[in-house]
Amino acid sequence: MSNLWFLYLFFSALLIFTGIYCLLTMRNLIKLFIAVEVISKGVSLAIIATGAVKHSILLAQTLAITYIVVEVSLVATALALIINIYKKNKSLDIRLLSKLKG
Amino acid sequence: MAFSFIFIPLLLAACLPLIGKFSKKLIPDVLTNAALAFLLFNSILLIKPVLSRGSFFENINWFGENINLQIALDGFNLFMLFTISLVSLCITLFSIDYLKHYGHQANFYALLLVMVAGMNGLVLVIDLFSVYLFLEVAAVASYALVAFGLGSEELEASFKYLMLSVVASAFILLSITVIFGLTGSLSFQAVARGLQDLNAGLAVGVCLAFFIMGFGLKAALVPFHAWLPDAHPSAPAPISAMLSGLLIKVSGVYALFRIVYSVIGMTPALSRVLMAMGAISIVVAALLALGQNDIKRMLAYSSISQVGYIILGLAIGTPLGIAGGLFHLFNHAVAKGLLFLNSGSIQHITGTRNLNELGGLGKKVPITAGTNLIGALSIAGVPPLAGFWSKLIIIIALVQAKHFGYALVAVLASILTLWYYLLIQRKAFFGPLNERWQKIKEAPFWMTTANIILALLCLLVGIFFTPVFNTWITPAADALARGVQQVLMWGI
Amino acid sequence: MIIQILLLSGLVIFSILAILLKDLLKAALSLAVASLFLGIIFFRLDAPYAGVFEISVVAGLITVLFALTVALTRKDSEVKEARLTRLAFPLFFVIFLIIDGLVMKSLLQQVPALPAGPETGSFGEVLWKSRTFDLVAQLGVILAGVLAVLALFRKKEEDKDE
Repeated sequence: MSNLWFLYLFFSALLIFTGIYCLLTMRNLIKLFIAVEVISKGVSLAIIATGAVKHSILLAQTLAITYIVVEVSLVATALALIINIYKKNKSLDIRLLSKLKG
Repeated sequence: MAFSFIFIPLLLAACLPLIGKFSKKLIPDVLTNAALAFLLFNSILLIKPVLSRGSFFENINWFGENINLQIALDGFNLFMLFTISLVSLCITLFSIDYLKHYGHQANFYALLLVMVAGMNGLVLVIDLFSVYLFLEVAAVASYALVAFGLGSEELEASFKYLMLSVVASAFILLSITVIFGLTGSLSFQAVARGLQDLNAGLAVGVCLAFFIMGFGLKAALVPFHAWLPDAHPSAPAPISAMLSGLLIKVSGVYALFRIVYSVIGMTPALSRVLMAMGAISIVVAALLALGQNDIKRMLAYSSISQVGYIILGLAIGTPLGIAGGLFHLFNHAVAKGLLFLNSGSIQHITGTRNLNELGGLGKKVPITAGTNLIGALSIAGVPPLAGFWSKLIIIIALVQAKHFGYALVAVLASILTLWYYLLIQRKAFFGPLNERWQKIKEAPFWMTTANIILALLCLLVGIFFTPVFNTWITPAADALARGVQQVLMWGI
Repeated sequence: MIIQILLLSGLVIFSILAILLKDLLKAALSLAVASLFLGIIFFRLDAPYAGVFEISVVAGLITVLFALTVALTRKDSEVKEARLTRLAFPLFFVIFLIIDGLVMKSLLQQVPALPAGPETGSFGEVLWKSRTFDLVAQLGVILAGVLAVLALFRKKEEDKDE
């Protein structure tokens, strides 16, 4: 049964890798946020798969639903930020935003 | 009632936007400060029962129906709760006058209270997934607060912070999921018991690596620090104080060490890794701080460096080291809160934060200059201020545990710290008065009051160091040093 | 089993499309399709409630929000991505695929786990009775999100007032 767990974790790791790659290389703010969404899909897949394999699917479902609620709240905040940034700069390019240096 | 730490700020935050429609300024100011003062009072009331019993377990019944609202309090939690309430009260006092620059008090206070509720919740819960959730509550509020000024700099910093923070919480949640898969449960007690029975070194190692990455990002340890020098200076001054003084410590340091000590259990290898990360943070961030011209940016780098000290102390694993780390956590929360609020005063007085434009302010604004000096010397570790004692304890603990190299790093870096803080003093407050600042006046009443309270704390904790340390820090450190046993004892 | 693997592959492929597609609206739509796949996977894993939430909230609500943002920021918002990003992606992806496969395969033999007893009760009981604290935290997150949106859009309201 735990073979299945690793199968699902394999796919969730792929999703998270894809998201992080995009986050590191892309420049469009909305693209960056799509990357965040992809990462969170990987995480919720991992949660549900863990619950299903370990016979605690009810608990896992509550966790996944809570996670989705958090995600919605985050998406709303981030999109509000993006729209505000666009209003200020008339652009979605992250390179134009590099007044601050790390 | 330890639940009031979560419910009072949340309820008030839900009501404030409505109240703000009727009263723009007075009632939100009064209510927020009253709520936080009540929480501070409440945490002081809890000291005696918690310390006499060792730990404290609370459960709410809903009309006789048994629901699962459980929290536990021990020395470590309570210490954090007290620190959060104290510093956030001073910050809201400061905000009374400072918010004139931004307006929309009610909305600001509501977000601030949600952040306080998130931090209090994170400190009180006994369940891994709840830790993640309250982390997110505090984080979502902080994104909005960083961007509160709505300038392009603020928005950009907030967006960068959000992106990195989301990655951090994804890693934290993944790690929690794997632990859930291994042990089949999420509460601290059950997980601690399960991991003891289970010999799963490799998988636990992977979880720990994810936790260190996630919480390290939240605490801005050096390889993961890129967001902090942008986010903290861009925020309004009270929020910078909140983020640097409290949030990175609660959502980074507290969460990491609660999980490492009380749930998973400290191992020598883990201790070495964390100590190395702490030492690297101390040195790199101190060097980066030297080159800054913006006061708040310099303070932000200094925060990274001081969090390095806290982690270095906590990771030693001996009771003395833990006590030193926690004491430094408290001192840094107070002193860095003071310095960020003070930078807000300077900005309010002069309209700039650029060190090269300031100069000779000391004669014009003695209170601001004096409190700044106290805070700076406390962080830099000059006796008899509070920061000196905590750094001394960390260094003694390092020597006792035979980590002479790290002890040397800690000593040398504290000289570096003193250097850049004296740089602020020299450029801003001493020297010839810049012509532009002939007509400046001292900051308004509440801003100076908050500064004075925090400066007095730095001074008094330093002078009455022995009683404070014995009655207050030692129980908190003991709760951590007992390791997994501490959690297993809860509720029995 | 094979259906499940196909669904999982579909999820990954549409997520990759969401990242690589140049048109933002199409990207948002392929993200929605990926959510749909994830929802079906949830259903097949005996998690109907999570599946419903995934499809209605993530595939529905969040896609709408994305589309709205794309529409609001459409005017001259062309962002040139570095071409290398797209070209290098398959290479990195394959490398990670191999590493991922090897790691998971080697972990497979080594990780012990506690046997978990079968769950009792219903979904509602678990949600309301044993995870009550999560509901409180959810309220907190929602409150934070609402207040954040209020704070970020407040300037606009002021302009209207003046």
